[in-house]
Amino acid sequence: MNYLLEGIATALQLIVTLDYEVTHCTIVSLQVSSIAILLAALVGLPCSFCIAVYDFKGKRALITLFNTLMALPTVVIGLFVFSFVSRQGPLGVLGLLFTPTAMIIGQFLLATPIIIALSFSAIQGIDPRIKITARALGARSHQLIVTLLLEARFAIMAAIIAGFGRVIGEVGSAMMLGGNIRGYTRTISTAIALETSKGEFALGLALGMILLTVALSVNIVLRYLQQKSK
Amino acid sequence: MSPRKYPLIEVRGLVHCYNNSTVLDVPYLSFSKGKIYAVLGPNGSGKTTLLNILGLLLKPTSGKVFFESKDIYSHPGLIKDIRTRMTTVIQNPILFDMNVENNIAYGLRIRGKTKEEREKTVKECLKMVKLDGFQKRRSRELSGGETQRVAIARALAVKPQIIFLDEYTSNVDEKSIEVLDEVITAVKQLNGTTVFLVTHDTRQAHKLADEVINLFAGRVVQSSMENLFKGTVSTTNGRAIFDTGRIKLEIVTDKQGVVHAAISPRDIIISLQPLSTSARNSFRGTITEVLNEGTVIRLSVNAGEVFRVLMTRASFQEMKLDVGTTVYITFKSTAIEIL
Repeated sequence: MNYLLEGIATALQLIVTLDYEVTHCTIVSLQVSSIAILLAALVGLPCSFCIAVYDFKGKRALITLFNTLMALPTVVIGLFVFSFVSRQGPLGVLGLLFTPTAMIIGQFLLATPIIIALSFSAIQGIDPRIKITARALGARSHQLIVTLLLEARFAIMAAIIAGFGRVIGEVGSAMMLGGNIRGYTRTISTAIALETSKGEFALGLALGMILLTVALSVNIVLRYLQQKSK
Repeated sequence: MSPRKYPLIEVRGLVHCYNNSTVLDVPYLSFSKGKIYAVLGPNGSGKTTLLNILGLLLKPTSGKVFFESKDIYSHPGLIKDIRTRMTTVIQNPILFDMNVENNIAYGLRIRGKTKEEREKTVKECLKMVKLDGFQKRRSRELSGGETQRVAIARALAVKPQIIFLDEYTSNVDEKSIEVLDEVITAVKQLNGTTVFLVTHDTRQAHKLADEVINLFAGRVVQSSMENLFKGTVSTTNGRAIFDTGRIKLEIVTDKQGVVHAAISPRDIIISLQPLSTSARNSFRGTITEVLNEGTVIRLSVNAGEVFRVLMTRASFQEMKLDVGTTVYITFKSTAIEIL
């Protein structure tokens, strides 16, 4: 019991004193995940919009694919990207392995299907009268798209945050693609795995608390947005 | 020679089909600027389809639509331009998930109007629909009647040349209907806007419209839709009898089987005693409703089926009629239109 209490006390001390290891891991985590989610949103939102608005052959299959990809294990994504960016891989010359860029690619691939699948349902859930009304009031195609995105704004933001929630805490691809290099590619989650295995329980706990706070904040915002969109 | 006046909209040989069945078949209709038109008909008669075709929201299966005598489907560039000059308020309209002010300003924003212009117009339009001060209200907080009024204000904000209103009285409280009736009349007078109302409320149609178009099963018919009955035609001793199950009418037709029959309320004569005339149909009934429409009175007479009858106020007063009075209704077989 003492061991646990001491661990918590030290963890709090590490957080309050802004310990280098703790702050740096947090910064790397937030940077990598934020960039990945931004890119995933930039690619995912137009994709989900096209899937929702246009009818084409294979639409259902595509939706099923994205729904399946939502649950893809992170190590599989790690393995997939690894095969491309490792020295022998087709992108090996770029020297991306064990860099934040490789981690961003991995997290981008993890988050994009979530953003596409969830925003697709959000856009498809918009009352069809909105489209007719916007057209009747003279909206051109691009203005119509903006109107539809605005109507589904809370649900779309919820989709983006759900994607962020998935990538901020993932270990598999971050470990495989980033290599857990101290001060460079070490994220909160990879650091927890390492420190705990080294017996640095307090440091692991401190990082765990931060991750939990981030996850909790994300969920509070998500819940708020989901209620707004109802 | 005075210049020839072209109608604002003309349709020729209009046919529209859904799943291979014809839902609208209108050989010719023309509409002038600054008039109120009511399109009247039961559910499924093609009212909304006609409205959507006129509002350029739907391209007909075949036929031509002329706007200021230009065939719009031969000039595709025209459609975008014309669309900005007309607007439609759909049945059970929806407001965008934003405040009332932004809803009304939507069309103005699209047309690139400045903030000052938008604010001024929003204020005017809200005043028109008697919702002053509603600018900052969330659209979700409004009642059905208020939503309808904001939707109409939103459509009027773009100062359309033509406005289409689809069933604007459905799900709306009496007060809102009164306000909207005033707005429709005012818009026509002030801006010279052409108004199309789609409704199944005959009173509303006759009260507001300069011209009423009756639709039945996708076709324009002469009779009003007020006395519309479904029944079976059979021939007895060379006379065609239309039987609704509650009443039998003598009619003139070659048709057999199940048909619809319509009688204009103007073609029915009311008397306190049975009349001895050439008219083949005379029934005893009781007045169940009296509606005062200014110079005319609209009566409902239950004679097995409920018949609507139109009469002058003077006759009504002379005959001392009221709800519960027993009367005779008489009309000619030729006054019955078989649809």
